[in-house]
Amino acid sequence: MKREIVVEPMSRVEGEGSIHIQIENGKVKKVHFNILEGTRLIETLVIGKTPEEEVSIACRICAICTLSHRYAALRALEKALGIKIHAKAHWMRTLMHLGEFLESNALHVFLLALPDFFGYPSAIAMLDKYAEEVTQGLEIKKFGNKIMRLTSGRMIHGENPTIGGFGKYLDKETLLALQKEADALLPFAERAVHLLGKLDFPSYFEEETTFMCCEPENGEYGIVGDRIRISDGEVVPVEEYQRLTNEMFSPHSSAKHCLYKGKPYTVGALARMNNLGERLNGVASTLFETYWNKRWLKNPLYNNVAQAIELVWCLQQIPFVIENILEHVDDPPLAKPTRNTGEGVGAVEAPRGTLYHHYWIKDGLVAKANLIIPTGQSLEDLEKYMRKAVEALLQQNADDETLRLQSEMIARAYDPCISCSTHLVSLERI
Amino acid sequence: MDKKEKLNIGLYGFTGCNGDQLVILHSEDQLLDFWKSANIKSFSLAKSDNEEIELDIAFVEGSICNEEQAKHLKEIRSRSKLLIAIGACACYGGIQAMEVSPSWEERFKAVYGENVLEVRTPIPPQPLSAFVKVDFALPGCPIDAKQFFLMFTQLLHGHTPHLPDYPVCAECRWKENDCLLLKGIFCIGPVVAGGCGAVCPSHGLPCVGCWGPVVEGNVDSQWNLLKEKGYSLEAIKRRLSIHSGKGLSEWFKKMAGAVSNET
Repeated sequence: MKREIVVEPMSRVEGEGSIHIQIENGKVKKVHFNILEGTRLIETLVIGKTPEEEVSIACRICAICTLSHRYAALRALEKALGIKIHAKAHWMRTLMHLGEFLESNALHVFLLALPDFFGYPSAIAMLDKYAEEVTQGLEIKKFGNKIMRLTSGRMIHGENPTIGGFGKYLDKETLLALQKEADALLPFAERAVHLLGKLDFPSYFEEETTFMCCEPENGEYGIVGDRIRISDGEVVPVEEYQRLTNEMFSPHSSAKHCLYKGKPYTVGALARMNNLGERLNGVASTLFETYWNKRWLKNPLYNNVAQAIELVWCLQQIPFVIENILEHVDDPPLAKPTRNTGEGVGAVEAPRGTLYHHYWIKDGLVAKANLIIPTGQSLEDLEKYMRKAVEALLQQNADDETLRLQSEMIARAYDPCISCSTHLVSLERI
Repeated sequence: MDKKEKLNIGLYGFTGCNGDQLVILHSEDQLLDFWKSANIKSFSLAKSDNEEIELDIAFVEGSICNEEQAKHLKEIRSRSKLLIAIGACACYGGIQAMEVSPSWEERFKAVYGENVLEVRTPIPPQPLSAFVKVDFALPGCPIDAKQFFLMFTQLLHGHTPHLPDYPVCAECRWKENDCLLLKGIFCIGPVVAGGCGAVCPSHGLPCVGCWGPVVEGNVDSQWNLLKEKGYSLEAIKRRLSIHSGKGLSEWFKKMAGAVSNET
């Protein structure tokens, strides 16, 4: 007997995806997370462009993590051109990056994950019983959007962060207001961690895996670095990213898949929390100590709790980052290139994981580019956990509805999309 | 309005970054009114109980990058009284439709090799108008929320929407920005459609051209302004090509005088 379970469309970052599960005579034959997104060939479009033009193209890859793309591109291009940015520019970039994490993590935690775990079709439907939690979550998201708009010049694809620094800096009054707002929102984020941290996640598909994230230069918890920390203890310069990611083609996906030493790995909030969580301080540290346990190393559903703890961390960081911006009264001019030929790799953590941009510049124009996105890196692990879940559930004679819901929940835990696609699953029996 | 039934509308997304639909979703202050003023029948980015029925207006974001999308777009067109393209991808094909060499086929091979995608049949990225009649096109990468809600309100009341027909330069003057060209910074604002509020020049940065080329009577002199400043046709074309997609060559064809003499 053949069974086929199709989840299509399942929206994800930047577009179209679906889940396809085939079962034959009680055995799992195929578990695919199909990436159906139209191909854009971004790497080929930036060739022959100036570094400034490149940055304007690269950020258009994604509207949700537009600033992570911009930041990774700037880091890579500034290395290639021998540019050292001013400290004020560095702290402004940190602020914009934190804004994006607030926006993206809050969207996933409150609009996608919460309804899943509390058995509601959408966040809107939760309003009757959980009005405070949902509206507080949306306040955090709105604050993230506000920081993105103020630092980058507009809500999405703002061009203000540019090669060598910023076109315009924020005034003191605006920064002080943001500081206050971050303090006021902190208890909301804390509450979300308690709500998610107390959930009892299913364990039948658990298995250890490898986690990767940026290793911050200051040795603290962070989302930027020139080295990559791997959960097996290795710390590798970002220049060696190809050895870590081993991008390869997969026929059911227009996003390339990645393997580390021939095995799948996970990037994103869970990877950061597992690799760096012990370095947290303040409230975020207390929450980590309360809720982290060894199952986080084996179960992707904890990504949701990790994202919530990161919301707390971001809100804790913002006042500190703003103080650092305020230390520099004068706005520095854009730092200039010291050469017009060179190569550079830039890595940052995007909300969904490590993002690599690699450029070769020749005579002031881009000669070659290579980009590796987080979603592609986690795809093999996502499929592995879905397969394990389906295999285990078949042992318990689970019906199609259960198989569908559980595999969707695992896929969604990886935060592949912001869409509230809670009931977009179609089921076919063969 | 009270006797008249609310319009049935749908919002759809093809290949791009979802940024245009997100601009609408991020507009918390207008979103509730937007939701109440029409029957939102389909908006899969925001809700799951979608109905694919006859529509008064379909708003479509994104470019068409495979045969399956082209088929879906035609299906949406067949049941919609009006079809509105929103954003640079839908209007011009977006950055992925940028006019570059080598050809799309050669670049596709460079990225995917001889591998064959099982799930979709890729085609060179195209704007919506390559496949269906587009009744109105709202440019921008991403669209501007104010422009969208203004257009939406005009459509609700049965008016023909009207877009600004002036370049970014005009908005810069209204904002009393210092002209970047006078400071020796290469800015293509003179030949780019306004509507963004001159956001980049207001940050002291040159226009990136994300609203596409301006179509307006005085574009000859604007073009000549750039030429007089010493910028080469090659540089202007390269900068303008980034966000103009398939609109670039069409624009060059359409423009009279100075611009067309260059091609």
